[in-house]
Formats: sequence, structure tokens, C-alpha cells
Amino acid sequence: MIGTLARKSLRARLGRNVFIGLAIMLGVSFVAGSFVLADSMKATFNNLFTELSENTDLVVRAELVGANETEGALRDPIAGDLVAEVSAIDGVELAQGSLQRFAQMLDTDGEPIGTAGAPQIGASWSGEGPLNGITIKDGRAPDGPDEVAIDKATADRVGYDVGEQITIVLDSGRRDFTIVGLVGLGDTDGFAGATTSLFDDAAAAEILGAGDMVDTIEIALADGADIDAVRADIAEILPPRVEVVTGEQVAEETADAINQIVDLFGTGLLIFAFVTAFVSAFIINNIFGITIGQRLRELALLRSIGANSSQVRRMIVIEAVVVSLTATIVGIFGGLLVARGIIAIFNQAGAGFPDIGLTMQIRTIVVSLIVGLGVTLASVLIPARRAAKIPPVAAMRPELGFTALSASRRLVGGAVVTGIGVAMFLVGLFVQPGGGTGLAFFAGGGALLTFLGVTSLSSTVAQPVSRAIGAPIERLFGQSGKFARDNASRSPRRTARTASALMIGVALISAGAVFAASLRDTFGRVLDRAVTADYIVTDDSFQGLPPAVAQNLGELDELADVSPFRSIFGTIDDDQVAVTAVDPESFDELIDLDVVEGGYDGLIAGNGVMVYGDAADERSLELGDEVNVTYQNGLESTLVVSGFFDDNSLGGSWYISLDELERASDQTPRDQFVLARLADGVDPADGRAAVEGALTDYPQAGVQDNAEFRAEQEGQINQLLVVITTLLSMAILISFLGIAITLALSVFERTREIGLLRAVGMTKRQLRRAVRWEAVIVAVFGVVVGVVVGLSMGIALAIAVPNSVIDGVTLPWANLLFTLVLAIIAAVVAALYPAYKASNMNVLDAISHE
Amino acid sequence: MSEMMAPPPPTVAAAAGVIDARKTYGLGDAAVNALDGVDVRFEPGKFTAIMGPSGSGKSTLLHCLAGLDSLTSGAVFIGDTYLAELSDKELTELRRKQVGFVFQSFNLIPTLTAKENIVLPLALGGQDGDEVWIDRVIDTVGLRDRLTHRPSELSGGQQQRVAVARALATRPTIIFADEPTGNLDSNSGTEILQFMRDAVDEFGQTIVMVTHDPFAASYADRAVFLADGKVVGDQAAPTRESIMDQMAALGH
Repeated sequence: MIGTLARKSLRARLGRNVFIGLAIMLGVSFVAGSFVLADSMKATFNNLFTELSENTDLVVRAELVGANETEGALRDPIAGDLVAEVSAIDGVELAQGSLQRFAQMLDTDGEPIGTAGAPQIGASWSGEGPLNGITIKDGRAPDGPDEVAIDKATADRVGYDVGEQITIVLDSGRRDFTIVGLVGLGDTDGFAGATTSLFDDAAAAEILGAGDMVDTIEIALADGADIDAVRADIAEILPPRVEVVTGEQVAEETADAINQIVDLFGTGLLIFAFVTAFVSAFIINNIFGITIGQRLRELALLRSIGANSSQVRRMIVIEAVVVSLTATIVGIFGGLLVARGIIAIFNQAGAGFPDIGLTMQIRTIVVSLIVGLGVTLASVLIPARRAAKIPPVAAMRPELGFTALSASRRLVGGAVVTGIGVAMFLVGLFVQPGGGTGLAFFAGGGALLTFLGVTSLSSTVAQPVSRAIGAPIERLFGQSGKFARDNASRSPRRTARTASALMIGVALISAGAVFAASLRDTFGRVLDRAVTADYIVTDDSFQGLPPAVAQNLGELDELADVSPFRSIFGTIDDDQVAVTAVDPESFDELIDLDVVEGGYDGLIAGNGVMVYGDAADERSLELGDEVNVTYQNGLESTLVVSGFFDDNSLGGSWYISLDELERASDQTPRDQFVLARLADGVDPADGRAAVEGALTDYPQAGVQDNAEFRAEQEGQINQLLVVITTLLSMAILISFLGIAITLALSVFERTREIGLLRAVGMTKRQLRRAVRWEAVIVAVFGVVVGVVVGLSMGIALAIAVPNSVIDGVTLPWANLLFTLVLAIIAAVVAALYPAYKASNMNVLDAISHE
Repeated sequence: MSEMMAPPPPTVAAAAGVIDARKTYGLGDAAVNALDGVDVRFEPGKFTAIMGPSGSGKSTLLHCLAGLDSLTSGAVFIGDTYLAELSDKELTELRRKQVGFVFQSFNLIPTLTAKENIVLPLALGGQDGDEVWIDRVIDTVGLRDRLTHRPSELSGGQQQRVAVARALATRPTIIFADEPTGNLDSNSGTEILQFMRDAVDEFGQTIVMVTHDPFAASYADRAVFLADGKVVGDQAAPTRESIMDQMAALGH
């Protein structure tokens, strides 16, 4: 019987249930989509790499110590002679050296072809063979020094075809090639977003500027050969710091590296997905609460004709579960769309993801069900309990319905929950128990509790605050404004809860804005104080600049000082550290590291090292002390402490000379950036022209003066903020959906009142205006509370971050004002439907509405 | 609808009235004629009661007169305005300026104080109204000490007095009252009826009241009787007894 009642009630309130379902569905599909996307990318890449290395039994490569490739550490190349030596070993069927270097393709207009952060690769290739998974899509393999095969994805994107000429910028300079083939990895058209140029094996070393070195040697074994024996034989002949590993291991490492990145990305998405689900819960809770209030007489009637309270509760819960189950199932399928959508967005930006088959794991379905049903059940539990407590007499006398939690209890409860939340949040940020996981648990959990507590607290101030917000509106719009104001402050709990959904999104955006603004200003201050260089040559290829850039600049008379900024990983006292190599003769003129003791002399002389004060204190280092370092390639060196400095905000706590680095590594040097200062008396315009002239062959090198550099960095920080805001947009969308629904329900509740107003002469326009401004008041309330909470969180976050990253708090007033204006506009849009509904009521029906 | 095009001009000066008013609900066999050719005019400065049993069409007539509902055919006028010619906006304005309302229940906006409720139609039109007049109305209905109270803090009778004051505040051409005493105890009801009577006598207000209560109708200058959508009787200076006689004659 209760089931029948629930079913009928569901059908009778179809519109409302569709809205509730929509809120659940959006949240669930975001959650499911995050999982699907991460799982699908992992599965696709893992398959790809397993497939690619299927025929590679063994790989010879340089060792990597105390660093890994995910962090950007590059293995040293190995001697090309090894290929012949390895081939000669018994049981080796085939050994091929491979090379991979920077290669920037230019489009037909001579402009560099960009990628969205993926590398631009030039590699050696001997044509389709068993050792790599490259397949020819069109044309043939390159043969000779004038031919190239490029990836089909890039060719299609930019409009190149077989037989056409292409200019490619390489470490060896700018060269023209004929495109003879279009290729892809396995079944895909590209190389996971990287632009790829392949050159004839024999010519590659010269073209790519690698001399007689190769990166790795891939080996296929003869049938029946014992892999362990062959591996041992190869190991015999290898020079020190070169290793032989199985192809399987390489595939696993590559997959692990990719999985790490995908996981990071997936976790990021998931956080925003959960925020969205959390916001949905507020809306759903509010809708159920209001709906039950409106059904009070119906429920009381059920009680008075003999339904017991658990039956009433069961009816409400059954209704909720049916709605949420339906919405969750739709949401899980929606997750597939979300995943597809995100892939499409990335591909639009040029990521060139291969054709990814979507993976729906059981885990995804289970989590989605937990989120969808959990959110609903959590939202409906309290309203259902309240409904069950309705006394039967309320059927005749609705005013006896239910008693809300008193304001003072909400105040105390809210304050306690907020207090615990804030404490957890601060502990997470400043104490960081349990490392990253602890930080996420405490800061994330603390933030959630804070939001819940603030919602409860804000209901106690909703009345005065919304009256204050409404005051100017009443002055401006007279009677309509007054109604908007009265109605917004009429049911403070409803207003608070509706506004809270928006509050969460706004708080997170505000916190992000504070963080970004503080980061930006700190960065600006560092630039002002520490950077005395006139030009910063940045690397747009994400693979480092070839040393020729710094060399060419060094030869210019217009420049007085030039230094590259080059990094290598090393291990000191079992700690992994980044070691930075610079030109010690010029660096002091370009960057002020705030040297407090000693100086660059030791670096100029040889194996000196400048150490950041805190790092030195940790190890109790004194001037002249020796420090043992093991570089990432396994070479060991002893450095002598020759100075201390106090500003490591540019990154790097250990500075050595370029000569020391070159002694330590066979690697082709790559510079992160190059700094330069004008010679005295040189006109900046002339200097710039000279610099740009020296770099025409290096389109990946961007020349920026101090101001441009700052603008670009600020642009990147702003982009970060845009990404955060975009990811929160789903939550914000739901919160405005919530405002629209709540308002529509309120309008329905006030049917008779609206009828009376219309009867005594309120025009439709005035009525619409009143509804619209009520929405604005609720939205502004949400924004105000959100900004207060968000600013506090952002400030705490900015203080918690080390001073080298953020050394002061900046409040982004312009951003906040923009948020407010946007919220007002969105509120007006959200009010469209409720306002239309209110103004189109039949006056007579409305007056006689029960 | 062609009958509406050229209604005869009112021969006697009337505050409001209907000409050959017909209102049909439903279609075909299921059609019900709520108004079946009603012709009635209301003289200015008079208090008229519309009486009749349930389903006689008296409420429909009132709603159509007030522009809350529309006729199937025939014409309605208030002052010298024919309502059929008005847009929704003009109709709203007419209600605000020329019509006052007193309903049986739910007469006031719960969020507004008594004073705010009284001046609501003026406020909606963006006017302050005539302060002296409003003061006089407030004193007449005896609400001076209740002005800042909200409806929930007022008794039913007080609420209804606020509603009467609101109806009077704009000095409308005509006030329509729909069973204004229906939800009140007899003392409060008598009080309300006396206020309406005073408004007619002292201010020259025109009032049309729908009621089924002979005692309430006895306060009026005239009683119009409706049955089955037709006017079946019209008494000047009705008394309780004369009304009850007429009702009995109608078979109720």
C-alpha cells in the first residue's frame, strides 16, 4: 500500500522529481565520468605500450639513479658502437639503436606547429619492424637524409600530405625534408599528442645532432635463445652505468609513469566531481524539505486515517530512492558522455589522444551508486523523520505541523561543526599529519564540515543579512523590491540552504582566487627583487633549449652577460635534490640570489657549490666543507661549499657551474631558460633586435623582457584559475538550478498570496520583478557568505604554503566583484521560469487555491 | 462575441454593471450556464447585496464584474469602461485604481503590516495616496493601534477590517465584497457590515456584496436575487424578513 502511495505521489509531482533527478544525475555523471576517463586512458595506454614492446625482449640503456623519468630526468645517451657489439652476441637476432631528440615541425607559413604540452619528437626509424609499434598509414619509410615520415594526426591537423616539403627545426639547425610517409603508433594516427618526425636510421644521428650516440638499443632474441643467458652475456660487455633490462620492464615503467599522470589528473577531476555531488545534496535536501512542508496536510491525513509514522517515513524514503536510482543509472551512462566530452575538449586543444575505448569498471558503478543513493538518502533522512513526526491533528490544523529546530540550537550546532571543520582544515594545512593523504583528508574533510557548519550558522543570520542586501533593491524598485526582500527573509532556513549550495562553489573559487593572486604578486616581487637580467629566453618546446641558444647569445656584442639555467637531479645524503648549473662568471649580474657568505669564485674555479641557507643549516654545512653528490646518471662527485644564499624562490637550492655539470653528464645539454643582460649604453630596441636575430633558427625560444615574462607567468596563473572555475562550473550550475527550483516551489506555496496581489492590482511585470529580485537576494547572500568563507580558506592556504612560493596574501577584489556581478546575472536567469510561472497564474484559481 | 461590440450606453448613471451577461462552463451536454443572460446595473453611492443559493451564479457574476473572470458573451462595465476592451495590464490597473476587494478569507499579505496592507494598491502604483483620507479610513475602521501588526497578530475580525480599509484606501469606483462575513463570528461580522454601511453613507462609496446570509444583506440598500444564472428578484431597502420571504419563494 505504501508502495502504491509512493508511486502515485511520484507521478503527481513529476516535474519536481525530474529536477531532483537532474541534480543527482549531474553529480553522478561527473563522478562516473572522472573514473571512466582515468580508467579508459590507463587501459588504452597500457595496451598500447604492451603491444609496442611485444617483440622487444631486451633493452640496453644508461642507468638512472635516484630520479625518474616522470619528473623529467633524461637518461644519458650511450655509445653507438654498442649496437654492433650487442648484435654480435649469440642469441641476439636483431639489435637496433634508437634516438629521440627535439624536432619542431613548421607549418606551410613557417610558423611552429604547437602541441598542448606534449613533446615535439624527432626519432630514428628504420621502417616498420618487429621492435617498435610504428605503422605506416600512407606512403613509405624515410630513406636518406632528405626524407621524413611524420605522424598522421599532425599532418591531418595542419594539412600536410605525402610528397610535400616540410621545414623542421632540429638541434642541428633548420632543415627541409620531403614527407614520404604518414605514420602512427599501432592502430592510432598519432603518438599520444606528440608531434613526431621520423628519420632514416643511418642519417638520424647526424640530422638529430647526436653524434655517434644512441639513446637505447632494442633487442629481439633468436628463437629458442635463453633470455637470462643472453642478458648476462650482454651485461658482460656493457661499460659502467649502462644496464640491460627486459622489454617487459620498460613497458611496465612506461605504463607506471603514464598511470601516475593519469591518476593525478583523474584525482583532480574526482575532487571536483565530489564537490558537485556535495552541492547536489544541499539542493536535494532543500527540495525534499520544502516538498514535505507542502504535503503536510496530505501526510497528516494519512496519519489520521491510521498510517503509522514508520509508514509515512517509508513512503518518503521509497519515493526518494526511486528517483535517485533512476537518476543514478542515467548518470552512470552520462559519465560515458562526460568522459567523451573531456577527451574531445582535450583533442580540440591539440592533445591528439588516440581513439580511446571507454572502460566502465564495476568499481565505477559501485561508487556512482554509493554517491547517487548516498547523497539522496543523506538528504532525505531528516525531512523524512520530520514528516513521520507530523501529528494526525495537523490534517485539520496545519499550524500544528512541525517544529523547526530552534535558532539557538542551530547556532550552537553550526558553531560546533564549523569549529571542528576549521580546526581540521588548519591542522591539515599546517601540521600535515600523514603527508599528502593526511593533508587531503584533514583539509578536505575540514572544508566539508566547515561548509555544513556555515550553512547551519548562516540560517541564523539569513534574515538580517538578506534584509540588508534587499534594502537598496526595495529603495530602487518600490513595492516589488519590498516583496522580494520580505520573501527572501521570510524563511531563513530555506534561503540559507539554497544560498549555501552557491556558497560552496563561490568559496572554492574565492579561495583559488586568493591563492592565485598571492602567487602572482609573490612572483612579481621575486622578479622585481631578484631578476636583474634584461631578457629571459624561455623554452616553448617543453624539452629544454639546445645550448646553441646560449652560445649564440654569448657571442653578441650587445649583451654583457649571458647564462643558461640547466638542471640535473642528484642525491645528497640520501635526499633527492635538484642541482642547478649556471655560468658562474655572469650569473651574479643576472640574478640576485641574496648571497650572504662566500660567492661564485669556487664555482668559477671548479667544483664549488652555492647552497641555500636552510639546506645548509639542515646539514650543518660550513664554507669549505665537502659534499658528496651522486648525479642521476650514477656518476659521483665531490663538491666544495663555496657560498650561501638566502633566496631560493627561483627554484633550486644547489648551484654548480656548467663545467661541473658537463663533467658529470654525457647528456645532450638542455637549458630550461637563458638569461641575458644588455651591455652598457646599448639601446633596448637594438639589443632586442640582435637577440631575436641570433635566435631565428630556434622558434622554440621565446624572447621576453622582464615585463613580458611577468605577464606570461601571470597569464599562466590566471589560466590555472580559469581551469579551477571551469571544473567548479558544474557545481555552480547545480546551485543555480537549486535557486530556480526553490523559487518555483516557493511560488507554488504562495499561490493564494500571488492571486490576492494580482487581484488588488499588482501587474505581471511587478510580480516577475519581485520573483527575480528575490533570486538575486538569495544569490548575493550565497556569494557574500561564500566570499567570506573562501577568503578565509584562501588566506590560510596562502600562509600555509612555503614563503618561497607565496610570501604575502593578496586579496583579488576585482575577481570577487566579477563573481558577484556574474551571480546576479545568473540569478536573474534562474528566476526566469519561476517568475513566468508566478505571473501566468490564473488570478481566480490562485485565490481559491487550497 | 459580436454582442460586445456595441453595447447600449447605460441609460441611468451606474458605477458598474453587466449587459446580457452569459457565462458557460464546459461543452455540449456537459455545458453549465453559470450566468444565463443577466442584466444588472449598480447605482453609485449605493450598497447592493447579491443573493442566491449555492450554484446560482452569484460568485461568477462578482468575479466577472471585477474583471477576475471573463464572460462567454455580453458586456461588463465599470465607470465608463468596458472590460472586454482591456488588455491584462490595463485590467490590472483598473483593479488597482477603480476596484476594491474584500474576500471571505486570506485577504492580507502575511509578510506586510496592517498599514502596508492597507496602502498596498497605492504602493503597487507607486503612489503615496491621500494621507488625510487614509487617516480617516483607518480611524473609521478603528485600527489606529494595530497598524504595525502583521496579519498573524490580528484577529479574524481585525484582519477583515484591514481588508475593508485597503478597499477604501484608493477611493475606488466600486468595492466588491465576496462573503466578507462568512468566516467571522457574529460580533465581528456585524462590525464589518456596519463599516461598509458607514462607508456608503459617509463617503458615498459604491459597494457590491455577495452573500447568502439574509442578516448581512439587510444592511444593503438593495438586494438582487439570482437563481440558475438568472436574476429572479430585486428588492429595494430589503429587511431580513423580506429577504427570507423571497428566499423561501425561490424554494430554499
